[in-house]
Amino acid sequence: MILYLGKRVLAVAGVLLVICAVTFTIFYVLPTDPAVHACGKTCSSEQIALVRQEMGLDRPIHEQFAAYVSGIAAGRDGCAFPCFGYSYQNSLPVWDLLTDRMAVSVSLALGAALLWLTVGVLIGVASALRKGSALDRTLMAGTLASASVPVYFTAMILLLVLVQYLEFLPYPDYRPLTEDPVGWATNLLLPWVTLASLYAAMYARQTRSSMIETMGQPYIRTARAKGLHERTVVTKHGMRSALTPIVTIFGMDLGGLLAGAVITEHVFGLPGIGQLTYDAIFKADQPVMLGVTLLAAFFITVANLVVDLVYAGIDPRVRYA
Amino acid sequence: MHKKLLAAGVLMTVAACGGTAAPAADAAKGGTLTILSNQDFEHLDPARNWTMPQMDFGLRYLYRSLVTFKAEPGAASLEIVPDLATTTGEMSDGGRTWTFTLKEGLKYEDGSPIKSADIKYNLERSFAPELPGGPNYHKSVLVGAEKYTGPYKDGELASIATPDEKTIVFKLKRQVAEFPYYTTLPSFSPVPKAKDTKEQYDNRVFSSGPYKIETYSRGKEMVLVRNEHWASATDTTRQALPEKIVVKQGLRQSVIDDRLIADQGEDQTAVTYADVNGESFAKILNNPKVRSRFHNEIRGCTDVIAMNTQKPPFDNAKFRLALQYAIDKEAYQTVKGGPAAGEIATAYLPPALSGGTPHDTLKVPPTGDIERAKQLIAESGVSTPVKVTLHSSTGEKNAATALQESLKRVGVEVEINSYDPSVYYDTIGDTSKFEGMATYGWCQDYPSGSSFIPMMFDGRTITKRGNSGNVALFKDKATMDRIDEIYAMTDLKAANQAWVDLDAQIMQKAPMIPLLWERKPLLTGSKVAGAFGHLIWSGQFDYATLGIKK
Repeated sequence: MILYLGKRVLAVAGVLLVICAVTFTIFYVLPTDPAVHACGKTCSSEQIALVRQEMGLDRPIHEQFAAYVSGIAAGRDGCAFPCFGYSYQNSLPVWDLLTDRMAVSVSLALGAALLWLTVGVLIGVASALRKGSALDRTLMAGTLASASVPVYFTAMILLLVLVQYLEFLPYPDYRPLTEDPVGWATNLLLPWVTLASLYAAMYARQTRSSMIETMGQPYIRTARAKGLHERTVVTKHGMRSALTPIVTIFGMDLGGLLAGAVITEHVFGLPGIGQLTYDAIFKADQPVMLGVTLLAAFFITVANLVVDLVYAGIDPRVRYA
Repeated sequence: MHKKLLAAGVLMTVAACGGTAAPAADAAKGGTLTILSNQDFEHLDPARNWTMPQMDFGLRYLYRSLVTFKAEPGAASLEIVPDLATTTGEMSDGGRTWTFTLKEGLKYEDGSPIKSADIKYNLERSFAPELPGGPNYHKSVLVGAEKYTGPYKDGELASIATPDEKTIVFKLKRQVAEFPYYTTLPSFSPVPKAKDTKEQYDNRVFSSGPYKIETYSRGKEMVLVRNEHWASATDTTRQALPEKIVVKQGLRQSVIDDRLIADQGEDQTAVTYADVNGESFAKILNNPKVRSRFHNEIRGCTDVIAMNTQKPPFDNAKFRLALQYAIDKEAYQTVKGGPAAGEIATAYLPPALSGGTPHDTLKVPPTGDIERAKQLIAESGVSTPVKVTLHSSTGEKNAATALQESLKRVGVEVEINSYDPSVYYDTIGDTSKFEGMATYGWCQDYPSGSSFIPMMFDGRTITKRGNSGNVALFKDKATMDRIDEIYAMTDLKAANQAWVDLDAQIMQKAPMIPLLWERKPLLTGSKVAGAFGHLIWSGQFDYATLGIKK
């Protein structure tokens, strides 16, 4: 187990290093010159050159990359570990910007994930157990419609109906959980529902097909023949196996969302990592874009690792090699 | 001979000493003003702050400059008044030396006195490559500034002297009658050396204004509270009415518009920071209650098409002039949002810089004059159809298409190259890559043609990369000579007229085509008092007067 874990952690580090190198190179060859942006209006070529030198952009790419990677590993030039460089826009450490926004994105992702997992799996199981019934057809038609609607459209409709016309909820304005738990939940409700409506639909359809397949397996028939209660057959034998693919996609989806739901955060004005990404793209703030990219890659690869570990708990057939 | 002159022309006046200007009749002292914004501030460090709405925010709330603009609506807002200084400056040595004396009783947020050396220090900081982005008018006129790279590496700049704690003296390379206008910019605000945190100063400025920063989470929220050491008796401009100011950032503009239109709860005491979306105009203008809270002042900016005057076919002045007649500016105005979005531009200088009335040399109808354009193209020798490229940012695609359609009428086939806004100015500002035409705009920094014409048309300002002013690469000796002559004028009224006349001459040479004088559409909540768009701050609300209603 420890050997397996060690190998996987090394693989994660390798993947992150490759992603870092590729992203770094892409930003390096972009036509955008951060020094020109930073210098402002009507800067002379000499002034731009001085700014470029000050920002360290006149150094060869391999030197810049080496400094960047060593900064992440051990910090550099007064920038504490883990140093992801400084934002071109506000000179703040990128790591500080990321951690400052983390609570919002984590709140959004975990709340939405709880919602879509619960609703999606319940709908999927109910549909699978009533396969071909009116309930199944209604639920699947609903999920198809929900999965077909883009997130921004759902968000706009919810804002229009629940906030603007019915005045049932306030315009989302993030409050920290530690300061105002009720305000935190009230203000995140719409973003949760928006994200969950998309994911729950996909999870319901995935659960349904997986559950139908599992419930047709010989060992389910055997369990029933042995006189087990139907609830036990479904929950202990059916769902346990059917949920394995769900766990896989859940890990990936949650990992991706933890590094920011760009559209949802932007539409609702939530100051999370997604919003930070949006601003960084529009302002060509490459250190922040690079930081967000690595954070997203980190969450996804780690989530993948966790999913593999969780498999063993769900499916005893899985063994660590 | 020490010849002391009062440099002020018609626009420069000295306000009566002592006491703050009267607040709006319905405004009360106290309450919390909320500013809803779709963006973070780019720079609040006074050495780096050079974007109009940010200069407005910084200069009205957090720091004071030697001289500032009146906090009054309309043409009065173009007048300058002393701020930290006792006068708008005293000129000597034939206009090459300017002296300012600080008022008594000026203090920072910790109660320590504001000294003239602190203003000198901030000006020196503005030269440092570590702190780029700020205004640079002073950099081209101060003696010895050419090679100076700031206080961190080069020590002091000798051309700024502070003989005592109250006096600051500037030695200039040439006569600059408009120097008091330069001193309205944030670079002329004080930063004490002991409080300088270099790049990090952007995140926490040390206040000399009526408010100080309580908290600032970049891109999320800023909270300002009163600077107890600011004395209204020393400030004739800022009313400092709200007890607290909260800036909420990162919101979507359409949500801000909807919140202010709905006008519920805390949003009643809120204002928008950025422009109201064009899509929200109908909801605002069709509702009298909401319309009464709508402000739409002229920005002092001109949208233009710049043509690369160094490459065919735009190296042909007659062909360029033909395009002045060919463009359908009305169509451009329509796609930008109609008259509420801006007025059709008939000159490069916005009306505020030409005596308040729009200047019109060519008298081209708003939809263009096709016959005249075709005649000029024939005279130019350029055979049609001719293919040209128009660069525009992706957000301007519809406007570019309108321009494409209008030029098609005279046999000019336009291919549109759209760029993401993040790379657009790098692309058109790279002289080795820029070809054809490009849409962009320029805004005044102070009410004089010198903040416009030289920036856009002086061939000596062209840079290989980051060429953001003279995008047309226009190098015309007669224009450059005339710019130097106007710089040398001591009579500001005559100088202002000379800029207008030069504008008219350049219109005939047509390196650029003026399109629109944009407006600044803004909205307030129903309980906000003292709101008006300030002509200097690009039509942004003057934060000096904003308050909460009684």
